[in-house]
Amino acid sequence: MKILQVYRSAPSEETKTLVEILNRDRDADSFDLNVDAPDYDQLVEKIFAADQTVCWW
Amino acid sequence: MSADPNKLAIFVTSPQHMRHVVGIAEAAKKAGKQPMVFFTYKSIHLTKDPRFEALADLCGKDDIAICADSYTCEGYDSAEDIPAGLSAGQMRTQAFHGALLDECGKYIAL
Amino acid sequence: MESLKVYILVANRMYNDGVRSALGLAVENHYGYPVILNGEFPSFSEYMKENIAWIMDMEGQVYSCGAPVPEETYDAELEENLMKEIDLKELGEAMREADYIIPYGIPKQSYEPPPACAE
Repeated sequence: MKILQVYRSAPSEETKTLVEILNRDRDADSFDLNVDAPDYDQLVEKIFAADQTVCWW
Repeated sequence: MSADPNKLAIFVTSPQHMRHVVGIAEAAKKAGKQPMVFFTYKSIHLTKDPRFEALADLCGKDDIAICADSYTCEGYDSAEDIPAGLSAGQMRTQAFHGALLDECGKYIAL
Repeated sequence: MESLKVYILVANRMYNDGVRSALGLAVENHYGYPVILNGEFPSFSEYMKENIAWIMDMEGQVYSCGAPVPEETYDAELEENLMKEIDLKELGEAMREADYIIPYGIPKQSYEPPPACAE
């Protein structure tokens, strides 16, 4: 199971706890949208490489 | 219907991230994938963004819709004020979200 | 068609529409699990209570995480609360089984809403 965690803003402590549980024993990747110029091409590549994407607030 | 591995669902619930919606949809197209987008609840205000019409054209009429009830709840006229780039048939219900899950191999919520 | 497990996380009091969204998926034969975080509850109108009950009827469940379930959602006929409490770690474990996880709307705001926000 390959899981991708995407962040629209800096993750809260709660979000970090949930991500830690969701990522446990899985092939986990992440992507930060909370930057001036996100590399959307890279994000799409990562989404299509993952089995599941979670995009946090 | 089985999900198309080359189709990307974008479920939009936040009114704050039009640049991400457009950026991801354009990047998906560039990569040879088909974006399928549904705007619901307060995200329907993004239909008033000047970038919305081009996004609608990019996706094509079968692959972009908004929640008509949300549009009405937010005070817009879902009969007389259909967003630029959409037709009456793209003013849909939450069933369109169900279609995103059924038809798309990949999914992101924004 | 396969029934999918969908968790919809509501962190902001203005985005309890996530409950309706989950109901929309339940009607499409999926399992909807809206989770209201930290007491950001909706006002419990008859419409909202009916939606919560309907999700339960469709084998989904509305959860409260980080706050006790409110008394308003106690169902005297069923003799139970329509909402169930779940703690953060339980939620994380439950969501490992999810097909989709949808953090809905926008994050919690830093300040309490002023009286001007009252209905």
